[in-house]
Amino acid sequence: MMSESDTQTLRQEVRTWLQDNVPSGWRDAMTGVDQESFVQLQREWFGKLSKAGYATPHWPEGWPGGGRSLAEQKVIYEEVARADAPRLIMYFVALYHAACTLMECGTEAQKEKYLPGILNGEIWCQGFSEPNAGSDLASLKTRAERRGDKYIINGQKTWSTMAQYADRCLLLARTDSSGPPQAGQTYLLLDMKSPGVTVVPINQITGDDEFAEIFFDNVEVPVEDLVGEEGQGWAVAQATLASERGLTLVELSQRMRYALPMLAETLKERGLLEDTALRRDLGKVIARVDACCALADQYLLKRISGEEKVGDASMVKLCYAQTLREYTKLGRRISGLQGQFDPDFMRGATQETGNWTLDFMNSYNWSIAGGSNEIQRNIISERVLGMPREPKTWKL
Amino acid sequence: MSELNEYLNELKASARQVMDGEGTAAEEATLWPLTVELGWLLTAVPEELDGLGLGVHGVSMLHTELGRGLAQVPFLAATLAVDALVQSDIDTKAELISRFTTGDAVTAPLADVSTVTLTDTLNGKLSVVPSADTASDVLVCVDDCVVLVKLHQAGVELSARGTWDTTRRLFDVTFSNVVLANQVVLARGDAAVAMIARLQSLRDFALAADCVGAAAGLLDITIEHLNTREQFGRPLALFQALKHRCADMKTLIDAAEALLADSLSRITDEQLAEIDSQLLAKKAKLVACSMFADVSEEALQLHGGIGMASEHPCHLFLKRSMLNEHLGSGNGNYELDIADHFLAQLA
Ligand SMILES: Cc1cc2nc3c(=O)[nH]c(=O)nc-3n(C[C@H](O)[C@H](O)[C@H](O)COP(=O)(O)OP(=O)(O)OC[C@H]3O[C@@H](n4cnc5c(N)ncnc54)[C@H](O)[C@@H]3O)c2cc1C
Repeated sequence: MMSESDTQTLRQEVRTWLQDNVPSGWRDAMTGVDQESFVQLQREWFGKLSKAGYATPHWPEGWPGGGRSLAEQKVIYEEVARADAPRLIMYFVALYHAACTLMECGTEAQKEKYLPGILNGEIWCQGFSEPNAGSDLASLKTRAERRGDKYIINGQKTWSTMAQYADRCLLLARTDSSGPPQAGQTYLLLDMKSPGVTVVPINQITGDDEFAEIFFDNVEVPVEDLVGEEGQGWAVAQATLASERGLTLVELSQRMRYALPMLAETLKERGLLEDTALRRDLGKVIARVDACCALADQYLLKRISGEEKVGDASMVKLCYAQTLREYTKLGRRISGLQGQFDPDFMRGATQETGNWTLDFMNSYNWSIAGGSNEIQRNIISERVLGMPREPKTWKL
Repeated sequence: MSELNEYLNELKASARQVMDGEGTAAEEATLWPLTVELGWLLTAVPEELDGLGLGVHGVSMLHTELGRGLAQVPFLAATLAVDALVQSDIDTKAELISRFTTGDAVTAPLADVSTVTLTDTLNGKLSVVPSADTASDVLVCVDDCVVLVKLHQAGVELSARGTWDTTRRLFDVTFSNVVLANQVVLARGDAAVAMIARLQSLRDFALAADCVGAAAGLLDITIEHLNTREQFGRPLALFQALKHRCADMKTLIDAAEALLADSLSRITDEQLAEIDSQLLAKKAKLVACSMFADVSEEALQLHGGIGMASEHPCHLFLKRSMLNEHLGSGNGNYELDIADHFLAQLA
């Protein structure tokens, strides 16, 4: 465990570094711009962060920036949030899902082959969801057929964040459909430049296109790029799916807290500081944000002390998604009619851009993706509260 | 009355058929000419002026159907301006009504955010004016004057405003020294004040109807989605957690619809300018617009990822609902008006 003074030293160090390095005015620079400017900002920011060792604090000892305890990682995340630094969303899957999967389940050869690339800024995407396999991920159908020393991939993935920029893809595909849905899934690392891969960006309701469909037409993946054993893909995916959750939610909750003055700013701009009803609602939101930060902190402490229980992460995610909804909705209300004009979006924005209508719509990312609110509620009621599960069989 | 009801029901059914045929968020370029051709703008116009004489009931029914289909037409604005003409005493009234219900388009602002001032000339900005570029005239209400102003003349400038809601094309209309004497003044003094009050009630009822129709349409789409989409080897509709939310939505919609119908049944067209009618209209607007926003928010969540894709119509409903909340004088002001009226009555 870190001592209080160690934490303070690290905090100060990170804070000073961020003060000197966060690109000023990056939000404005990301409003209404094309993809290239976004990619450029992400690249530069990743370059700076990784050079300073702040992009990979969760990597093991021996890797640049790695070997930090959870407590130290928490300090770094809190400071990043405090500094309102851009989120590394283009590198998120690479730095977390891909890296953690490789560290935990990859062979030495795979680690050697891929981890340096990730450090050098390779972009990865996650190809799990399919048009007919969303909440029910286990039902996925994209086929991987073993032929000699290759797997041949056919099928379709969807909602794959950053797929249009990605160099590689974490692919969950089916090698066997004879058993129960979780069995027969295989985890593969796929080169997005392989022949037969087609990426079609999906237009989002905000105007952005952060995610995409990926089509596979007889795409070849060498067997060396199989992670874990054939048929064990589900377990591999589960092991790493929530690897970053605690930290991300600490960071995101803190970001809400640091963006509270933006709500006040909107109140002021609209001349509504004297509006008692709105001030009350602001008070309510501030307290809720504090509660959300506290729950996220508490969760991380449980992880640090090894007391985490099944379902704890679900409560943090549900709490965050709902708090963010209320928060952005209040912003939307305060913005009034004015908030319905000028539909600009900000690439790579966090959830608090000050364009509250946009932020409100983006709050759905958190209530739908990565296990929707409803799925989290199922987990909480069944796994935390021990209530009976939905029956497996049904008839109409 | 029952004959009228029967007629209204027929009209509703045919409007539904037309709108279903056109599809959700049908384009203005095709739907507007159709709206005109079908004579919908004549719905509330009295029979002696060659209209259908169906009043606020009839037109409200059409607003509901157009809302249901997220019609991208400035129907609401046009009906307000036509109503102002009907109420006016000007000589050219019959001619203008005929022109604006069969040919040229007339528009009117949908929110009370005008900064227009009036002396011998008009100056200032009128906001939230739908389809001003394709209309020939706009209705302007300032203090105790209601006037019809040509949109394409010196001193009038249009600027398109981008909105999240893409089912409406809104404009700012800026006047610089537009000479009043060259415009068509529809009312002045007390008559204008009454006309403005009436127009506000009409607008609020129309917005309420728009929300009721749109929310009902969206709930249908959502239920259809839940009935057909399967996850975990069963239709999503089988999950009680989702069914209950649909039940909540249905109850919210029906309550708003009932309030609208009840309010309309309590007043005649001639009473629209009265303070009690205004209050009824405000309540109907407030309840319906908050309901539509709630329903849209739930619907997006229940659609999952597909609701976040712009190709799916879910977001069009959400965006229209967010704008609707702020139209008229804005939901927050309605809340205050209703409470203040209540408190004043107690005192
Ligand atoms: C912004 C964003 C980014 C994403 N990024 C990625 C990515 O990078 N890679 C990737 O693979 N996927 C990604 N996804 C996909 C995401 O994981 C799915 O959208 C999510 O799992 C929900 O699946 P679905 O969209 O098919 O909705 P559905 O599963 O069809 O759900 C529809 C509705 O039904 C509810 N529901 C479903 N099952 C139940 C149940 N058992 N009980 C009660 N309610 C239920 C849901 O909560 C939802 O409200 C992303 C999605 C979003 C929105």
